[in-house]
Order: sequence, then structure tokens, then C-alpha cells
Amino acid sequence: MKYTTFNQQNNDALKEPMFFGAPVNVARYDQQKHNIFEKLIEKQISFFWRPEEVDVSKDRIDFQKLSDSEKHIFISNLKYQTLLDSVQGRSPNIAFLPIVSLPELETWVETWSFFETIHSRSYTHILRNLFADPSAIFEDIVVNDEIKRRAADISKYYDDLIFATQLWQTRGEGIYDIEGETHTITMRELKKKLYLCMHSVNALEAIRFYVSFACTFAFAERELMEGNSKIIRLIARDENLHLTSTQHIINLWAKGKDDPEMAEVAAECHDEALAIFTYAVEQEKQWADYLFKQGSMIGLNKDILCQYVEFIANQRMSAIGLGQPYAVKSNPLPWMNNYLNSDNVQVAPQESEISSYLVGQIDSEVSADDFGDFDL
Amino acid sequence: MANTKAGLVISVKEVTSLPHQPDKTLLQSLEAQNIEVHYHCREGYCGACRCRLLKGQVEYSVDPLAYVDDDEILPCCCHPLSDIEIEFS
Ligand code: FES
Ligand SMILES: [Fe+2]
Ligand SMILES: [Fe+2]
Repeated sequence: MKYTTFNQQNNDALKEPMFFGAPVNVARYDQQKHNIFEKLIEKQISFFWRPEEVDVSKDRIDFQKLSDSEKHIFISNLKYQTLLDSVQGRSPNIAFLPIVSLPELETWVETWSFFETIHSRSYTHILRNLFADPSAIFEDIVVNDEIKRRAADISKYYDDLIFATQLWQTRGEGIYDIEGETHTITMRELKKKLYLCMHSVNALEAIRFYVSFACTFAFAERELMEGNSKIIRLIARDENLHLTSTQHIINLWAKGKDDPEMAEVAAECHDEALAIFTYAVEQEKQWADYLFKQGSMIGLNKDILCQYVEFIANQRMSAIGLGQPYAVKSNPLPWMNNYLNSDNVQVAPQESEISSYLVGQIDSEVSADDFGDFDL
Repeated sequence: MANTKAGLVISVKEVTSLPHQPDKTLLQSLEAQNIEVHYHCREGYCGACRCRLLKGQVEYSVDPLAYVDDDEILPCCCHPLSDIEIEFS
């Protein structure tokens, strides 16, 4: 079915499924099929923040005090997070907007993705403070094998869904040979791709950030890199909300509260969904291994990080009906809770001095006095 | 209904029983007795504190956004309206 930016058919969005129904026409929120998405939009917007509000200048002094292995841990985590948010800043839009059928969900996807772009901009803010020229760090993201391996796995499900959607929207259902590959496009196949993609995104939001979050907060426990930690707390707050949205989508499908065919797909793809999550857990544990292979950091080691990943995974897997496959029962890093608590997140007014990066670091502050007698 | 009712009992299955403290959330009452409960947001949107409500009734102080199953509650943003029994998985 061809995509249209304004579906002229008079349709009742309350009767549409979340995806693969009629394209959305009127962006109206007075009535909602699933009002959770409208609530998530409101909550997310209430979280609005700007990286520039967080003063990271003291981190530059702290960074010089870190050991080489700690610098490696800090920078590698930032690279990985940059990759994750590069993907998330565009992919929900490109993959989900062409097939979404509810106005509140459409706007949630746009809001979600927009906040990921704030995260991306915050990494530049952090790195520009640490390095006169952070290019080498950004350039390594597409060269570094450890990061590339994760990138491939994260973008695979998105790319697959996007390509199948493009074929379906331009040519309809059918079997197509394209560049030597056969693609079978049926509604059932599209829904399976969507289902697996949503699980892959859910796993990303659920656990892929937590190894680097733990390292950031372990530095902060030692009163190091606290500007960075403030930014990461704001990011973590947003990620929790993103995760809540993917959990709702997955459960609405599985419990037959949306598209009945998606409930069948959910049952059929259970093992694949489980494999997506457990593979992400393995990759995160390998990431911990990579981080610590040049030496440890105070307060954290590879084993405890791996246990933490498993602990978080149990929590998040049980929320989407995937059980609790890992043996770990109690939180190995209880202090993490303090950093993920929204009460501790607000940017304090005294810290919200704007640290703009202007060429040559010109202080462009203009006070009312500077205008003298000018009538404004 | 205000969260001020005194004398309500919270039983945590196979762990302990403790009094609910008026004007506290269920999570705060549990923490006051040194029961370790996992949490992140403490505002009802992350789901980290999710537990099962086996008996009794609770009321939310904020609109909970996190996904919970039909028999589950978010202790960070609710308080009991009666004696309750809960279970952490
Ligand atoms: S701690 Fe986040 S929902 Fe309770
Ligand atoms: Fe993000
Ligand atoms: Fe996210």
C-alpha cells in the first residue's frame, strides 16, 4: 500500500491497529486508542533538557587525572553511546512512521526520536570540552571493530523492516528478485519483521546503555567526571521512558489488545525474541570485557558489571514475558539506583550556566548595562 | 482517598510483615523496614519497582506510566487502602 502523507479517506483511528492499518491523517489527540502514548509524550516533553545547560568544564581537569585504562573506559563508552543514539535518532522515524496508524503513537515515535538527537548532541558537548578536536573519536566509531559489530546487530532489524516496507509500499505483496536476492513480501512477513525489530529496539533501550551508565556512575561515586554524570542521568531518565514505550507496544500485541494477528506473530516468534534479548546481553558482557581488558577502574570490574547486566536483563525480560533466565537475584550495584532516580536528576539552577562553544571562546555575555541608553 | 490510614499491614510473601506508614508510599514503607526494593525513577514511569499484588487494594498518587501486568503494582507511587500481600519475583 502506497504511503500518503495525508490519507484523504475518512477513517476512524480508534479502530485502527498500531501499525499497518490506514496511514494517519488528522493529528488529533482528543481521542486515543491507546492513551498511554499520549501520556508518554507529555512526560517526555516535561523532561526537556539541553546539553549546554550542564557545565562539564570541571571534567576536563578530572580527565587528566584518570589512568590510561580509565581513559580508555570513559572514551570507549562515549563512542558506543554515540553509536546507539546515532541509530536511535533516526531509525524509529524511518522504520515506524511509514507504517504507523495511530496519531498518538506517530507523535510518540517522533518525540522519542527527537530526544535521542538531544543525546547525540550531548556527546559532542562532552567531547568538545575534553578535546580541542574530538574528530579522531568520532571517526573511530566507524572503524573500531568492537563498535562495528554492535552497530551491525542493532541496525540489522531496522534495515530489514525498512527495506521490506519500501518494497511493499512501492510494489505491494509479492516475490521480488533484487540484486540477486529473493524477497517475499506478505503482510505476515512484514508483521514478523516489525515484531522482531521492536524486540531489538526494546533490548537496546533496556540493557545496551547500562554497562556504560555503570562506568559513568562509578566515576561519579569517586567525584570524578560529574558533569558527564549529570548528562548521563538525564539520558538515563529518557531511556527509561523509551523502554516503557516498547514494553507497552510488545505487551499490547502479545495480549491481543491491538492487532489480533500480532498476537499470533508474538506466539510464533517467542524463541526468536528471546534470542534477540539474550544475544544483546552477551554482547554487553563482551563489551564489559573489552572495556576492562587494558586494566580495571576503582569500584568496578568485569564480573560485577556482567552480573549487573544479567540482573537488569532479568527485570526487563520478565516485563515482556521472556522470563528471568539469569541466576543473579539481588542488585550487585545498589548505588546505581541513586543515579537513576528522577529526584536526583534535575539540573540545579546554579549549574545551569550556559557554556556555549564559540569560535575562539569569545565571551558573548551581554548584560542590560551594555546597551547603555539604547531604547530596545 | 488520602494516604493517611494508620494500622495497615503489608505482608511481603515469604519474607516479612510490616506496618504501612501513613503519608508514605508503599516503597518508602518497605524501605523504612530495610526491605531492599529495586527502583529507578520512583515516579511510576520505569517499572523497576514492579511487584505482584496478591491481596488487598492500593491507590496511586500519580498516574503510573510503566507497563504492569493486571496483577502487578508499582510500589514507588502507590499506597495501600487495606491490608495487602505483595510478592517480588
Ligand atoms: S521506580 Fe520507576 S516505576 Fe517505580
Ligand atoms: Fe538515547
Ligand atoms: Fe532511547
